[in-house]
Amino acid sequence: MSDKQFNPRILGFLCNWCCYAAADAAGVSRFQYPPNLRTVRVMCTGRIDPSFVLRGFIEGADAIFTGG
Amino acid sequence: MLTNADFLALDGEPGKFQAKINMRPRYIDADACTACGLCTQYCPRHQSDEYNEGLAQTRPIHIDYAQAVPATYYIDPASCLHLQHDTCQICVPVCQSHAINFKQQPEERILQVGAVILSPGFGKIDSSVLEKFSYGKHPDVVTAFEYERMTTASGPFMGEIKCFSDGRHPKSMAFIQCVGSRDIGCNNGYCSSVCCMYAIKEALVTKEHDPDVDITIYYMDIRTQGKDFDAARERAESIGIKFVRARVAGVTPWDKNLKLTYSTLDGQHKFESHDMVILSVGLESPKDAAGISKITGAELNKYDFCATETFNPLQTSREGVIVAGAFQGPKDIPESVTQSSGAAALAAAVLKSQRGKGVVKKTYPDEQSVTAEDEVRIGVFVCHCGINISSVVDVADVAEYAGGMENVTYHTESLYSCSQDAQEVLKQKIKEHKLNRVVIAACSPRTHEPLFQETLKDAGLNRNLFEMVNIRDHCSWVHANEPEAATAKSRDLVRMGVAKARQIQPLAEQTVPVTPRALIVGGGVAGMTAALTVADQGFPVVLLEKGSQIGGNLQNLNYTLAGDQVAKHLKGLVDRVKKAKDIAVVTNAELIQTAGFVGNFSSVIESGTGKKKTEQTVDHGVIVVATGGHEHRPDKYMLGKSKKVMTQQDFEKQLSGKATNRAPGSIVMIQCAGSRGDDLNYCSKVCCNHALKNILKVKEINPDSQIIVLYRDMRAYGMAEDSYLEARQKGVVFIPYEVDNKPEVFEKSRKLQVKFFDTIMQEEVILAPDLVALSVGIVPEGTDKLSKLLKLPVTANDFFLEAHVKLKPIEMAVEGVYICGLAHGPKPIDETIVQAQAAAAKAAIPLVRGFAKVDPIISNVVQDLCIGCGLCVSLCPYGALEMKKVGKKRKAETIAAACKACGICAAHCPTFAINMGGFTNEQLISQIEAFGDRKKEVEEVA
Amino acid sequence: MGKAMNHREGSVMVLGGGIAGIQAALDLTELGYYVYLVEKSPAVGGVMAQLDKTFPTNDCSL
Repeated sequence: MSDKQFNPRILGFLCNWCCYAAADAAGVSRFQYPPNLRTVRVMCTGRIDPSFVLRGFIEGADAIFTGG
Repeated sequence: MLTNADFLALDGEPGKFQAKINMRPRYIDADACTACGLCTQYCPRHQSDEYNEGLAQTRPIHIDYAQAVPATYYIDPASCLHLQHDTCQICVPVCQSHAINFKQQPEERILQVGAVILSPGFGKIDSSVLEKFSYGKHPDVVTAFEYERMTTASGPFMGEIKCFSDGRHPKSMAFIQCVGSRDIGCNNGYCSSVCCMYAIKEALVTKEHDPDVDITIYYMDIRTQGKDFDAARERAESIGIKFVRARVAGVTPWDKNLKLTYSTLDGQHKFESHDMVILSVGLESPKDAAGISKITGAELNKYDFCATETFNPLQTSREGVIVAGAFQGPKDIPESVTQSSGAAALAAAVLKSQRGKGVVKKTYPDEQSVTAEDEVRIGVFVCHCGINISSVVDVADVAEYAGGMENVTYHTESLYSCSQDAQEVLKQKIKEHKLNRVVIAACSPRTHEPLFQETLKDAGLNRNLFEMVNIRDHCSWVHANEPEAATAKSRDLVRMGVAKARQIQPLAEQTVPVTPRALIVGGGVAGMTAALTVADQGFPVVLLEKGSQIGGNLQNLNYTLAGDQVAKHLKGLVDRVKKAKDIAVVTNAELIQTAGFVGNFSSVIESGTGKKKTEQTVDHGVIVVATGGHEHRPDKYMLGKSKKVMTQQDFEKQLSGKATNRAPGSIVMIQCAGSRGDDLNYCSKVCCNHALKNILKVKEINPDSQIIVLYRDMRAYGMAEDSYLEARQKGVVFIPYEVDNKPEVFEKSRKLQVKFFDTIMQEEVILAPDLVALSVGIVPEGTDKLSKLLKLPVTANDFFLEAHVKLKPIEMAVEGVYICGLAHGPKPIDETIVQAQAAAAKAAIPLVRGFAKVDPIISNVVQDLCIGCGLCVSLCPYGALEMKKVGKKRKAETIAAACKACGICAAHCPTFAINMGGFTNEQLISQIEAFGDRKKEVEEVA
Repeated sequence: MGKAMNHREGSVMVLGGGIAGIQAALDLTELGYYVYLVEKSPAVGGVMAQLDKTFPTNDCSL
């Protein structure tokens, strides 16, 4: 990467009913935010097994975001 | 759905009406319009935006708001240059989907319908009524509707509150209540019932915007009689919103400000200056009320609302024509929603024999078998969404990238994946390329997944073999200025979606049969009405009554404010229940135990008295809770200690008797006795009207009787305001008291005396009346036991708590359980009846369906891996897992109908024995792995 | 809903597409009836679509 700035890669787990919906709403309202997030939709954050978080870090995530 | 349509005529009879309607042209082909909005950008003419209460500008070709249904633009013929002057037509070539069609003509249609529901809403108060408040003369006087648009974040001012005159932020604001309501001057004698509550809401919202703003609400009575509404007023007072009891005579411009002239209770005239004035305008009957009445024959009351009766509140004077919402009388959202459900039940009862005949049943081709062994063949469809995605994301690049992935057999782009023709293409490509997984990169699965899943089913593919990637809401729209980063993100998201898709397996749709029977707990007016209404839909009912006979509180009432003879109606109701062959009444009955879930409940009922108690088990699909409530008898004001002190209910009984002195010459009534922050925290809604009804009865028997009513706010909402006025005209004196200076009742020299502070004369008064009538509140009949038995939540005041206060006022948090009557909250007879009819409609829905459909994304226990620890059972918030004996071991099992697919069980299972359909461990791990993939790719490049 | 024939047994006309009309139409559909929702303006939703928040829960109206 030529960009020397710290450009974190964030993996997000979004609850279908709230945070995923909020991300949709952000889109509808055209809120602009940095493009560093990659998301996985789940039906509830309760679904997130701790191993998913660890796996995310193994795969190179700089941060994990859970929204629910 | 027929929008832009006028109702012209109604002929025929219930069961077979012919309704004539006129469809006005939109000049836009609804099927072709993609709601892209390009036309509005190009349309050269400006016009006032009615949706924003005229606070903003729009164009003749427009859509009111982005989420409008149908999501189709339309052309306002009154302002379109082409339609008015035969010029322009700029929009025609601009529209990419060729949706604009100026050749459209009005079309008359005859609809054959069995019943009609009238829900035309309400009208707005004429602006001439508002002139005395300088509305139209000074820009800083606005109606509450305009103010609502102003405070809206998505509104024309992005939620910024400012004075129209000079753009300054107002520091002092006034709300004037009862504008166009309780006002005989404009022939609106009734109370609009909702304005107090919305003014408080808008005042609170304003305080959120700017905590320093000074807000005063000028009112006559604060009518927050709805369930838990008083709490809102208390909150408003606690954060410094001022309430001034005064009638505002007028508003005049005064320098930069506005001067309010008002008179207070003690006869003083005062002035106050404010930056901004908001008029709490009332709700009027709809503008076309007279027309609707003429067409349908449904009679109107004196204020042009639809006329109905207390004991049949939704039935108009024309059989088969039913009314719901504000046309029946001003009301708030939950009550409108409740009336609508009740109206649906009544309309359904008219057409019982035709049920299901008009519904189109869809058929699907046989599902092709897809097994884990089959080769995975993924089709990826990347959507342009017009220019919504493609103007930012390089769609071709993303599609090309997807095409290079393992198992991706086919990839393409499409302009609008959701359009009708795109569905045909999708079906065709599935067949052509033998696709067994479909990934669509477009918008949100929350809105569009069902559409594509339907197409998959049409193509003979299991609907779960589908994954959606959101590259619009989560990508192009939010990274509009970073096209490269947005394209990279789209590639990543598509890669993750494809990775998940590889792991997707078909899931069988599960259905659970329903026991077509309703159990109704409580045999009062609510329970009886609900029972009759469910039976009218053709389903059997078991009606439980804990007492020895059905009838409930109606047995204690004699007459209503509207003049109905309660006993006659009660007898009619009881007779109908007893005669109905589908209703089994069980008296002296108690619900002992209930197990199961929506569609499949099983309850144990104990009935009989003393030693003759018996138990029986009833299977049923739904439960209606109508356990009612009763009068609260406070240990205050000498109640029970003096014969001259009685509750309004006791007094009503006395007035209905034959004793010659039943309406004595001097009476004091005390409102809110034990309510609103005393023994009971809440307002019981009916007591003010109960007092008025007794007052008018007294005046009928003994016109010379002197009556003094000590009150806090007279909550004679709706049409009851007429009775309040009548009582005052007949010489009844109403004197408000302050909560910290309540009236006292005591005996002195064996004479009953009442001491109170007269806020009008500003002095203390002691009277020795012949009778003191206390307006006491209503408490729910023991809800504790039933709430534990059925796991139903209750409010702080022990009433049952509905699933959603605004939008699901009838449903309970537990699916298949519905609530009505006093057990939900204090309310008068007509509102109870409507709520019971609504509960019956809701309860009938699962019974009509005959089976409960279960979304296959629910949990599934792999029994070979389950060690029977029971952790999942204890963690499940919905009680959707149970332990079952399999052979010698205990294993967990999902109760399909109860599972909400949250996945808490799967995340906690120590042996990974629980999988979530559609969100399996393999799928999610693959997705996470695919997230990491890019790094490798980047490293390789480096 | 969508396009429909004009002759249909078991159908109900709901006049007015505000919150009341929409709710009645939805309930009737679920009860097994065909509904014609007749609205004079170009979109359903009524006044509720104009409200900022509903009270006291402050849920978004749309």
